[in-house]
Amino acid sequence: MDLNYWELIIQQPVINILIVLSHYLASSFGLAIIALTLVVNVLIYPLTMKQINAMKGMQTLQPKLAELQKKYAKDRQKLAQEQMRLYKESGMNPAGCLVPMLIQMPIWIALFQSIMLALAVAPEGLLNLSGYLYPWPVVYSILPLGKDFLWLNLAMPDMLLAILVGGTMWLQQKMSMPATADPKQQAQSRMMLWMMPLMFGFLCLSFPSGLALFWVTSSVIRIGLQYVASGWGGLVPSTDGKQVIRDRRYKRRIALQEVPLREADIGADIVEPTSTEEEELGYEKVGDEGQDRGGGYPARPGAFGRLPRRDRGHHRKRR
Amino acid sequence: MWFRHNRVLLGKILLLLVILLMVGLTSLGCVEGLQPIGWSGGAVSDGTLFVGSKEGRLVAVNIADDSRQWSEPLRAKPTGGLGCAAPMAGGGCAAVPAGVAIYGTPAVSGDLVYIGGYNGKIYAFNSSSLATRWVYPREDYLQPIVGGLVVAQGKVYFGCSDGRVYALDAATGDRQWESFKTGDKIWSTPVIDGDTLFIGSFDKKLYALNAADGSKKWEFETEGAIVSTPLVYDNTVYIGSLDRYLYAVDTTDGSLRWKFMAENWFWAKPVAYNNTVYAGSLDGKVYALDVRNRDKVAEFSLESPISSAPVVVNSSIIFASRTGVIYTIDTGSNKLKRLADIEEEVYGPLCVSNGVVYIHTQDLMLHRVNANTGAILTSISLKSKE
Repeated sequence: MDLNYWELIIQQPVINILIVLSHYLASSFGLAIIALTLVVNVLIYPLTMKQINAMKGMQTLQPKLAELQKKYAKDRQKLAQEQMRLYKESGMNPAGCLVPMLIQMPIWIALFQSIMLALAVAPEGLLNLSGYLYPWPVVYSILPLGKDFLWLNLAMPDMLLAILVGGTMWLQQKMSMPATADPKQQAQSRMMLWMMPLMFGFLCLSFPSGLALFWVTSSVIRIGLQYVASGWGGLVPSTDGKQVIRDRRYKRRIALQEVPLREADIGADIVEPTSTEEEELGYEKVGDEGQDRGGGYPARPGAFGRLPRRDRGHHRKRR
Repeated sequence: MWFRHNRVLLGKILLLLVILLMVGLTSLGCVEGLQPIGWSGGAVSDGTLFVGSKEGRLVAVNIADDSRQWSEPLRAKPTGGLGCAAPMAGGGCAAVPAGVAIYGTPAVSGDLVYIGGYNGKIYAFNSSSLATRWVYPREDYLQPIVGGLVVAQGKVYFGCSDGRVYALDAATGDRQWESFKTGDKIWSTPVIDGDTLFIGSFDKKLYALNAADGSKKWEFETEGAIVSTPLVYDNTVYIGSLDRYLYAVDTTDGSLRWKFMAENWFWAKPVAYNNTVYAGSLDGKVYALDVRNRDKVAEFSLESPISSAPVVVNSSIIFASRTGVIYTIDTGSNKLKRLADIEEEVYGPLCVSNGVVYIHTQDLMLHRVNANTGAILTSISLKSKE
């Protein structure tokens, strides 16, 4: 049987490694998948740590990035150049977090194929499997592999494992999420936080639970690494994050003081509140003592809309 | 701003990656062989060839005028599976016919034709009208049936993926007996020799059962799962195993006479002729072995895996390679000759009638090759007209 490059370089080694691991792990295909996950994670360990550190570094860069945004607010090209320079100087790569995932994708696909072939789900699969085997006696004596592991049929989807995959991915994403005051960035982070777990959870409902076992093991390993590198991260409220938010508000207020309000800046549908309305809504004058509390309010109603929703509520409470 | 835009970009890249993964898993991931399709061979009786099609129907082909008749499609076992993981018929990722897969070759006896489906049911059809006579089990479903059936002594025998061998009354479909449960599933087709039934199991054992009641006479253990169908010849049962050996076992007590190792599995049932057993292997070679001492008489390279059982035509053995090349081995001179190339993948066993070899291929076609001249005759479509 002639194998193409994909089969020769990726699929064939994965199948044979899984079979050999099964042989040495009490003929358990489930344990073999977990062991393979460990092997893969050990191999990409430097990349994973680089990614975790990059995410951590991004958090420390937030104040500097905010300064740059303020400084070059009207010159996007310059801003991009300066940000690139900042990333370069601090050794950060915003795209670095995608590399481990890119590297693992062929393994996921090969693992899916291997699971289906090695478990002899269909007779054609078992017949085709013969073309992928290395001429090692151990490989031939154990086939086809048993598909039962714990409560799982590794060839079939499993709801509980799908939930576990989604849950562990969410935890891992949450731990690695950088604190930011920028509402757009917060929206992006929220999207990333939910999108990946939901997508993978959905995938797990359609594919063999053997593949989901790989994903959940991988997530648990990454949670461990993330904890070692930066603790619980976004799972616990960060005082640094609050400070960033306070700095941000302060800078915005100062910026508003510096830029004189022009008629053209105010949309036709914005109505200047009367002094009574201001009192009710809780607007305070620029330069009030409130600024020292770090939670000042915008000097004009139009600016209020730029604050994230949760900040608005926060203002009211404090008032 | 740059970072904000890059965050958006990163989000998009991430989304793209997930989409790529989904596409990869569903297309690239759906490798050949993940869905049960079937590879039924043909059985000829009274000028009619019966074969299980990939649409999940029994097809009767009148070999005189090429007219065809189709049975009702076998009913798929209800399944809750999703995507590629659904092993039953229909659904999934591959563009396969939405019928129940049929792997076993039909068995003909009297006015009935018997066939087993991957849906876990055995069907008996009237050989002339293809009307259903009986179904076993009537309501429920067994585990998938991959091996073929054998009819003898008024009974239909078959092995099942639940690890048991069953014997049914050939006329009524009533169960006569079911054997003990072997250690794993059974995909092998049973063979009856006298009052003994021989069958292999995934538990690596070859079993000899009493055909009258299913009790075990003896068992012989190999080092690999057994999928292939045994051959009984001169008081010896020959069986291939996934440990790459072909075993010769004494039919009376199950003792090993000899074993021969190839470079890959012996999947197809071998044939014996004139004290030589011809066994095709998935390593792409046919081994001609002396039945008395396993001496290798000859070795023939067919250049692609052999999973299709050969047939004997006069004094020649006809083999088909996976890629669809048909070869003939002259047993007198032990010379290999390329007969024809039908250019379609061949998985199922060959069938011969009146010097014509019938080959059921994965494209819902029945190909025909003249065994003497190698001429490729007009192929017959097994696709139903509904």
